[in-house]
Amino acid sequence: MKITEKILTHFQSCNSPVDKEGYLYKKGERNTSYQKRWFMLKANLLFYKDRPNHHDLLGVIVLEGCSVQLCESEEQFAFSLVWSGEPGLRTYKLAAEDQPSQESWIRALLSANHGYLAALVMDLEKQYKEAMKVFPGDPSQQSTLAGPNTERPTPSLIWLNSGTATLSQYPGPGVEAGHSFRTYQMLQAPPISSKPTNKRSPKLWPKRNANVVPINVPAPPQGEWSVTGSGPKVEFSKLHEDFGKEVKELIADWLRRGQEDVIQEEDLIDFG
Amino acid sequence: MRFNEKELISLSRQPSERAAELGMRGPKKGDVVKRRLVKLVVNFLFYFRTDEEEPQGALLLEQCRVEREDSQAFSITFLDEAERKYLFECDSQEQCQEWIDSIIKASYEFMRKNLIFYRTEIHRLTGKDPLEQYGIEDETRFQVTSGLQLMPKDI
Repeated sequence: MKITEKILTHFQSCNSPVDKEGYLYKKGERNTSYQKRWFMLKANLLFYKDRPNHHDLLGVIVLEGCSVQLCESEEQFAFSLVWSGEPGLRTYKLAAEDQPSQESWIRALLSANHGYLAALVMDLEKQYKEAMKVFPGDPSQQSTLAGPNTERPTPSLIWLNSGTATLSQYPGPGVEAGHSFRTYQMLQAPPISSKPTNKRSPKLWPKRNANVVPINVPAPPQGEWSVTGSGPKVEFSKLHEDFGKEVKELIADWLRRGQEDVIQEEDLIDFG
Repeated sequence: MRFNEKELISLSRQPSERAAELGMRGPKKGDVVKRRLVKLVVNFLFYFRTDEEEPQGALLLEQCRVEREDSQAFSITFLDEAERKYLFECDSQEQCQEWIDSIIKASYEFMRKNLIFYRTEIHRLTGKDPLEQYGIEDETRFQVTSGLQLMPKDI
């Protein structure tokens, strides 16, 4: 299958946001040693090259259809990207330089896929429409959103109300900053849940039985995956709740490893 | 440049946002219109020779311009280069417009901008940051940037 390299390299080098970058060790396919590479995550694409200042890209990994798993390895702080939808698909083994980096990368990679963002946008769109009903506000203050009828797929959004504070500096009203291990993943979840958005703080989530149903719930009739490609069919809040269980397990596991320092034989957490 | 081809081919087999047989013309001089099964999956446009299992090619739908070309056709231009302009012929005006809308909406960067817009607006209207309920308000990918490239380093 042909993929136009120039389109990919252009996307990598253009000024759209880089979501995460840094060194990771990557296990080769034939040469099984780990090689240090500079990785750049942009959208649902993970690019890599030798060094940050090297111009040429070595490769790109499209992050659709994979799960992110902790894995056992000679390397510390290892994790893997696993494709398992069909036979013959790959697993990429990666390792970070320390535990915070490992955690940070896993978190970023889990939420990099298209469906995650699509579900989140859909959720916020609903909240926005509800907010517009409750707080109609001053129409002249309203920002405009470029719709799909514009030619450019990257339209400029015009904020008429330039007094809005940047949200990155927005002081949280006492909500817990979030579990440091919180990670997200598009699960093969059933279609649209009719549950209303869960607005409770993470601390108030009901405790879940760790032996609960595995991640692979039956896919909807039209295909193997329910969340990629066909548009978001799940509510983001449901996805988000389901992660509560994964997070608890992941925290427990990491704490256990820290105390025991025991090498175990098999993969410990399977997100996929 | 290496890429995970098998996994991308697997992606092309997944349920798509939109799929149809269209007339497609490549960007090179001398390319002619050929019937192709065109399939939109996430932010990739796959195209298949009719009756072939594996796609002939995949186009990443980021940093591209989608334009109407007369009443029933649209084009996708990459890198602002005419040499990278793909033409697609549809069967009707309506189908053509639907494809244009779908392709634009499929772009990750377009979705990200929408997200930032909704986040900002909800905050403006309600005083609350909607991402806080999920604890993801500090994630780099959702920050209100001014188009500058972020360089988040490892912790």
